[in-house]
Amino acid sequence: MSPSSSRTEKFEAIDSAEVIAAWQSRFDMPGEAFIGFAFYRRAQNIWAFSDVDLPRLSYEAVGMRMMSLKEKPWKPTTCALQVFGRHARKNTVALNSEQARRFMSGESQDLEADVEAGFVIALFQDQVLGCGLYSRGKLVSQLPKERRISVDTEGDL
Amino acid sequence: MDYLERYREIIPDFEDFLATISQPLPASVRINTLKISRDRLIERLDRTGIGNHVLKWYPLGLRLDMDRPGKLIDHTLGYIHIQEEVSMVPPLVLDPKPGEMVLDMCAAPGSKTTQIAQQMENRGLVVANEPSLGRLTPLRSNCERLGAINVAITRYDGSRFPDCQFDRVLADVPCSSEGTSRKDLKVLNRSSLKRSLDLQRLQVSLLKRAVALTRPGGVIIYSTCTYAPEENESVVESVLDLGQVHMERLSLPGLIDCPGLGEWCGHKYSDELKLCSRYYPHANDTGGFFVAKLIKN
Repeated sequence: MSPSSSRTEKFEAIDSAEVIAAWQSRFDMPGEAFIGFAFYRRAQNIWAFSDVDLPRLSYEAVGMRMMSLKEKPWKPTTCALQVFGRHARKNTVALNSEQARRFMSGESQDLEADVEAGFVIALFQDQVLGCGLYSRGKLVSQLPKERRISVDTEGDL
Repeated sequence: MDYLERYREIIPDFEDFLATISQPLPASVRINTLKISRDRLIERLDRTGIGNHVLKWYPLGLRLDMDRPGKLIDHTLGYIHIQEEVSMVPPLVLDPKPGEMVLDMCAAPGSKTTQIAQQMENRGLVVANEPSLGRLTPLRSNCERLGAINVAITRYDGSRFPDCQFDRVLADVPCSSEGTSRKDLKVLNRSSLKRSLDLQRLQVSLLKRAVALTRPGGVIIYSTCTYAPEENESVVESVLDLGQVHMERLSLPGLIDCPGLGEWCGHKYSDELKLCSRYYPHANDTGGFFVAKLIKN
């Protein structure tokens, strides 16, 4: 079988500085948070990957999707926030236990937070829950459907 | 079940074996240290009142006193991964180090891939190969949920994987899956000698390619979740005969194994094959597995 080379050759290594600057500007993260990682672009997505020399193969994925450029402003993925988000010093929303459960179930909720409108990092204590969209007193959970949980999910947050 | 009668002479305490596989598997998970420390995870489970028991042979493997660990929030957040206990063995004995280049030839759904990523502390490169398009989604989803960032996914026919040199290769090949019958009894209805021999051709070609892709001195792990010697010792023997690898015995104190077979259906295997490990369900209350460790000369 031949791999789907038409798609995979579109993974292009990109300048780390641009990615880091975007995340620093939105979330005020120290540059050290990104040491050891390289960044690739395919179509409208930026991928974060271990900083190694990639053998010349045809790839379906390199590391994880980190941000989508489809929307303006760009949107961080929940999985990347769970890796890098703990370094953020702004645009984070600390939720209480009840709010965190609602966020995890994919709900929108009214709450006041001292953040800029746009994509924010939802936290519960020191855990990164994922990406939220905040505007005018409302937090909309951006958790992908397969990452949402129903309210009867067992285990404490 | 009847098909398993062919193993009466090779599986010790066969009646115990039959009794054990009629019972469901205990729930088991691996702690994902890419996202949480072991102590913290155990503390969370204790706080919620979920009984948990660390495996004697692997400090990151846990048996849980509950039916559906997939419903735990710890699963959603990627702190744990549901994985059958003996399926944690191949990555453990592959023993990849941070910074190395590793190939997981038949990777989906990614349980072993992500265990390898975790052993490598997210550094270096794990190439996770999976020819089936439909199985790429769960593979990617597990890598993302568990925060594995050193994994690159390819979609080659493993037996024609392009030339490359890896430090370690895992060939956890497609097999008749008889050892998973505690999860799904139906797998046994599909078992037949013909099926095993068909799979054997694929398994031999995958293992040969795995050997070719490994650097001298590098490690190849061959594993299946079946009892069929046609898919186990016979496959390893045909690759040993090429003279490019030698075998090494596995050592996992606390996990009981049986040595590879000396003989099957009148065919005498070479002595070296006794260095293979057979894991039977009644020995450790797990599924069934076969693992062989090869070193490239």
